[in-house]
Amino acid sequence: MIVAEGLAKRFGDVDAVRDVSFAAPDGRITGLLGPNGAGKTTTLRIISTLVAPTRGRVAVDGLDNARDPLAVRARIGMLSDARGLYGRLTARENIAYYGALRGLDAAALEASIGRLADLLDMRSLLGRRAEGFSQGERAKVAIARALVHDPPNVILDEPTNGLDVMTTRSLREVIRRLRADGKCVLFSSHVMQEVSALCDEIVILARGAVVARGTAEELRAASGRADLEDAFVHLAGESLAP
Amino acid sequence: MRPAFLTVFLKEMRDGLRDRRTALMVLVAAILTGPVTLVLVVHFVSGLEEKASVLHVRIHGAERAPAFVNFLERNDVKIDAAPDDYEERVRAGKLDAVIVVPEDFQERWLSGDGARMEVVYDDSRTDSGPATRQAERLLQAFNRETGMLRMIARGVSPDLANPVKVERVNTATPRQKGAFLLFLIPMFALLSPLLGGMTLAIDSTAGERERGSLEPLLGNPVALAQVVIGKWLAAWTFATMVAFLTLAGFATAATVYAEKKLAAVMAFGAPELLGFVAMVVPFAAMTSALQMLICTYGRSYREAQTYVSYLATAVSFVPVVVLFTGLKDERWQLAVPVLGQQAVLSRIVRGDPFGIVDWAIPSAAALAVAIACVALVARLLGEERIVFGRT
Repeated sequence: MIVAEGLAKRFGDVDAVRDVSFAAPDGRITGLLGPNGAGKTTTLRIISTLVAPTRGRVAVDGLDNARDPLAVRARIGMLSDARGLYGRLTARENIAYYGALRGLDAAALEASIGRLADLLDMRSLLGRRAEGFSQGERAKVAIARALVHDPPNVILDEPTNGLDVMTTRSLREVIRRLRADGKCVLFSSHVMQEVSALCDEIVILARGAVVARGTAEELRAASGRADLEDAFVHLAGESLAP
Repeated sequence: MRPAFLTVFLKEMRDGLRDRRTALMVLVAAILTGPVTLVLVVHFVSGLEEKASVLHVRIHGAERAPAFVNFLERNDVKIDAAPDDYEERVRAGKLDAVIVVPEDFQERWLSGDGARMEVVYDDSRTDSGPATRQAERLLQAFNRETGMLRMIARGVSPDLANPVKVERVNTATPRQKGAFLLFLIPMFALLSPLLGGMTLAIDSTAGERERGSLEPLLGNPVALAQVVIGKWLAAWTFATMVAFLTLAGFATAATVYAEKKLAAVMAFGAPELLGFVAMVVPFAAMTSALQMLICTYGRSYREAQTYVSYLATAVSFVPVVVLFTGLKDERWQLAVPVLGQQAVLSRIVRGDPFGIVDWAIPSAAALAVAIACVALVARLLGEERIVFGRT
């Protein structure tokens, strides 16, 4: 469960995030939808405690981000914008490194890597060094790395960026499985279809503020548009008008 | 549970050991630097000794002074005949100094009537100095010997003519002369940890950001200090490893290559190696921490590489500056990083005594700098502008 209240973040004289509030409950998929530069990545970084907000607060499973960042991180699995792997380490070693940093012992690590390898269909990758991986293979390892400690909250920043159709489809399957396991899934995207296909709840961001939220149905009704894309353009565009 | 810094350390060690650049550096350090340098130095040293040990003297008209020739032969001096146009040749710089025996030498010599010899040289040419002085010394020695023999023949003590005996005592032991040449070993000892820790220091800071693995790494529930300490320990280990291999290479080559002459000039065996390693281990802690600090500021791998090479240049300047300014070895210098290490390391190669304080002061200073740098890196990595880049 992730709750954001009145988040704002200023970099120099740029307001990256102005006013973001939403709640992402357990067992649901919440999508942050917005055009490039709307503040999605900054919002997710604030939630994952890597960036301190200028204003507002975040609570993850009731733990305050500002007061207890390490405990919050332990309850989050984050696939960030940056997905660099260590090229000289194998996929297994890359995943195991993060597992060890999150306190998993050898047996738990082995079990977790096995489970993720099946989930992401990447058994054949485990023993290979990451330097030769394709973008899709790298993404799989990065996702496995984020989920290795079986976190109750999963944050995915534009997870399908640069992935082909097959990998995107299997990733959607993974996200649905996570929901079925009762996890809180929060992911960001600027791709309408992806959000509408997957999300239980959509939060639309534009220029650093939440302009609308609700199910796809509710958003269509609120904007008076039959098509979700029209609704998005309408809602996001409204905030751009002076 | 294993502490996080140990996890980071083990990962960086594994990652670093798989790096081809590291392997290459270890190879160069261990197998090439020490032995090759030593062979060159030894050639230089023995070349010098060769020049000094066989005396040559050029004489014009040697046949007119059989007694002098006899004296020279008894003293293992080689006689080269000078050509007739010796004056022009000396002026042209083709000959350094020529002893000229006049026509009437033998006659005056036998009668004890002010026999004369000339040393022809060109004062404007400084490189003729040693040969000229040598010729003069030989003539003086010949003079003294003949004078003494003649006094004894007349029943007079030769000491009458020499009321004061001058004896030369050169305080520079052969080993100290060698240390002048071997200021190279301290220099290598100071530079090799910089070389050894470099790749890992860059890779684990600027490289980590460039690769896009810094942000996910910092998202782990681990205190920044643990991450930084783990990385620093790994860079320190590599720096120490390469420094040790370099120095061990010197020691091995010195032992294998130890001819009599060389052994007198320099000693770099197990005790010296031990002293060096004791000095270099804390020093390496400082250099790797410094490298990490400046690399944290590097926007890219390449930029970090440039900064690191500035650091290496700065460190390599210190021994050179000491050499050229003739800075005397004093206590306060021990507390100045690099300068202190340089002072103690040169003392070790000179074979001068050095105590626990000489080790403790520079090492404590180095460790203090290291800890400050590590703390600073941990602080910087908590700043958003460092983690996400400055655009």
